[in-house]
Amino acid sequence: MKLLFQILSTIVGCFIAQTFLPWWTMAIVAFVFGYYFNLSSGLSFLAGFLSVGLLWLVKAFYIDITTQSILTEKINKLMPLNVFVLMIIVGGLVGGFAALTGTILKGKKQPRYY
Amino acid sequence: MRIVKITLSSIITIALVYCLNRSWNFGKPIPPLGKFLDPFHGFWQNAERKNQKPTNALVKNLKGEVTVVYDSALIPHIYAANEEDLFFAQGYITASCRLWQMEFQTLAAAGRISEILGPSAIDFDRGQRRLGMVFAAKNSLAEMEKDALLNKVANRYTEGINAYIHSLNYEQLPVEYKLLDYSPEEWTPLKSGLLLKYMAKTLNIGDKDFEMTNALKLFGKEMLDVLYPDNEKVGDPIVDNPNGWKFKPVTLDGVAPTTSPEIVQINPLEKSSPDVGSNNWAVSGSKTASGSPILCNDPHLELNLPSIWFIIHLNAPGYNAMGASLPGSPCVISGFNDSIAWGETNAQRDLVDWYKIKFKDNTKNEYLSDNQWKHSNKVIEKIIVKGKEPFYDTVVYTHHGPVTYDESFHGDSQKNHYAFRWVAHDSSKELLSFYLLNKSNNHSDYLKALDHYSSPAQNFVFACTNGDIAMRIQGKYPVRRKEEGKFVLDGTQTSNEWQAFIPNDQNVMYKNPIRGFVSSANQYPVDETYPYYVTSTSYEAYRNRRINQRLSEMNKITPHDMMSLQADNYNLKASESLPTWLTMLDQTKLNAIEKNVFEKLKSWDFYNNINSEGASYYEAWLRSILPMIWDEMKTSKVMLDFPTTYTTIKLIKEKPGLSFFDIQSTPEKETAVDVVRKSFSEGVAEIEKWKKEHGNQEPSWAVFKDSYIQHLARLEPFSYHVLHGGNNSLVNAHGKRNGPSWRMVVSLEKTGVKAWGVYPGGQSGNPGSAFYGNMINTWSADRYLNMHFNSSVEQMQNFSFAHQTLKSEK
Repeated sequence: MKLLFQILSTIVGCFIAQTFLPWWTMAIVAFVFGYYFNLSSGLSFLAGFLSVGLLWLVKAFYIDITTQSILTEKINKLMPLNVFVLMIIVGGLVGGFAALTGTILKGKKQPRYY
Repeated sequence: MRIVKITLSSIITIALVYCLNRSWNFGKPIPPLGKFLDPFHGFWQNAERKNQKPTNALVKNLKGEVTVVYDSALIPHIYAANEEDLFFAQGYITASCRLWQMEFQTLAAAGRISEILGPSAIDFDRGQRRLGMVFAAKNSLAEMEKDALLNKVANRYTEGINAYIHSLNYEQLPVEYKLLDYSPEEWTPLKSGLLLKYMAKTLNIGDKDFEMTNALKLFGKEMLDVLYPDNEKVGDPIVDNPNGWKFKPVTLDGVAPTTSPEIVQINPLEKSSPDVGSNNWAVSGSKTASGSPILCNDPHLELNLPSIWFIIHLNAPGYNAMGASLPGSPCVISGFNDSIAWGETNAQRDLVDWYKIKFKDNTKNEYLSDNQWKHSNKVIEKIIVKGKEPFYDTVVYTHHGPVTYDESFHGDSQKNHYAFRWVAHDSSKELLSFYLLNKSNNHSDYLKALDHYSSPAQNFVFACTNGDIAMRIQGKYPVRRKEEGKFVLDGTQTSNEWQAFIPNDQNVMYKNPIRGFVSSANQYPVDETYPYYVTSTSYEAYRNRRINQRLSEMNKITPHDMMSLQADNYNLKASESLPTWLTMLDQTKLNAIEKNVFEKLKSWDFYNNINSEGASYYEAWLRSILPMIWDEMKTSKVMLDFPTTYTTIKLIKEKPGLSFFDIQSTPEKETAVDVVRKSFSEGVAEIEKWKKEHGNQEPSWAVFKDSYIQHLARLEPFSYHVLHGGNNSLVNAHGKRNGPSWRMVVSLEKTGVKAWGVYPGGQSGNPGSAFYGNMINTWSADRYLNMHFNSSVEQMQNFSFAHQTLKSEK
């Protein structure tokens, strides 16, 4: 449950931050919620990874559909990997490590809620 | 333990953000992946919906309100209350569609590409600096700043561009900036000047002085005149006005400097393609169905994306012009207004000389000129290189111009220095010519406008609703004595320098010729009674004859007929060479495949249409025969130039025993017949190989030619392959990389000017827009867009795709 909350909070926080601020501010948001929810390292990383990955995927997917993939197809050919996959890895890793850092900093493990 | 974990995790996070926020170069450039892939700001934001429309904008410094109506091809029709707002809006709108391209082209002109692409561009950048591109643009800028009107036009255009640049944040930046990780800098009038020098370099830098100097030494003067005649005497000159030159020409004392035969061993900079050329013509009302003149223009340039042209309609009180503009320069360049139409083709002439410089010593502080030591001027060029330390290059300027080639740059072991004299180095006011042309009402306005034009020299075609048609070859031309300027010159003698220029009113021009049309296609400019010596690297020999032949035959011409002529695929070159070559083959010795090709060529109608196979076999044959004949030049250790294809074909017919037909690598002594036979087999083998590599399909011309329109940063996914007929030296001059970069047909009817135009690209420079390449298919189908030339916003109602207003913020 806590995992879900962390994911939801991070998604909302990142959405607001990114609408106004540069891309890397999502790392700060993921870090803050990582600290706040203080899950185990693995779960916190997962939460950060999934939040940013999912948010970026939905946003990109929406743009891709409404523009009939006009640019996605071209950029795809310039990148070593499919842009969606690459984007999720890039965004996810930053979100994941930021959340992980938050959790470790808080330190004391809370009992897990499932 | 926890401290270690915290430290490690923070470091990884921060390092990730850092690494993903900057670009890298591992052999292949990698954009800042985090920034670039972020869907809130990255490249995704450049993708446009099909119906996405330009938005209204608040800007500083507008006097009134400007209305822009975009038609269905995203052509902006700008309606302003005064000219100051008009040029501001032209800058703003052009930048909103083409910002990245505008800046990239001027960075290329200034030799600053290494800043963006890294060390691979250093040699190119050094070349640009050593050709004096910025030096040239600065000279012209100084001249422009003295002219209040021009200053206003250039500054308002600049302010418009900058207003657009300042309105951008990262997500709105053109995608190329995001990919290559840099941002636009302020526009300046110097950049507009650089763009015109970029055009001058594309069109007017052709020379073969080094090659001719080497050829003179290796082959002798007599052979030189056979291989490289000044005038191939084929077809009509652009202006045929025998004994019509009633003026006293400027004459120079003495004879042309003699050149001491020598070998020049430099490795020259890449030259622009010899296939860059153009067509223009105007037919008088006596030959048209409507009784009004029709004017046509199609400049042939390297085909790139975003396209070199941007169609625009500029309207303000006293100003109503439409046509193709150059993104980065104000006004319309090839177009029309309510009364006249005009268009350009390149006017080839020798406008370049190379002077061998004698320095006093290794410091290069002084050089010899008429037995005196003159002081040189050294300019230290700092070339900023992405990801590396800056590169410094010292360029020595003499009074001739910059020393382009020396021991440190493309030079030879003998440590020779060659200074570059180019007409485009001189100050000039081309922009004023275009501004005045845009506003011209008649022939005398057109002549006055062109008096300010120096470079790049062009053949300006003209037609007016009052029925006049005209042609004027305008540029700044040095007066040359016979043979002068063909070879490298001795820089120590001032008598070798340019001493006078042909007065403007003595340039080649005429009006309303009896034949009822004027035309130019880069051929020899003028009849032999013109009192000045004319020479160039080469003149076009085929397109012009086909055009003149067709125009002579045609009557009751409609705009549609003119469109068909612009798309004419008749291969005059093939019709003049192929029948002879075929008779030279020994049919008994052909293998089965060759026999089949022989039949195909025999039945070919000489049209380079999309599906024509004959065109492919002929082209393969030609590609094989030229280097086989001129193998002496191809394999030479010093630079030499092939004679023209026209001369080559003529020599095969007329001098089959010429020593050049002997192939150097074989012990036998070949003649023209042997070379024709051998190259035929080679050409057929080439196509057989091509067929194997292309799934055994037949070599239809368009597929074999494989025309390519390339993105300026050479990004494959932003480029297009196009299936289209035509070829170089055909009226439809679409080769592999060059072609009609803009096609325009204007009917100058008294009841209102009607016009059609198209270019292989799209109005938007954004690869994520539906308007990026949307005109390519129209163009390659030889169809045109109607230019909705309406003088008010209300009349545009039915053609409007989007309305945009620019208002002053207050």
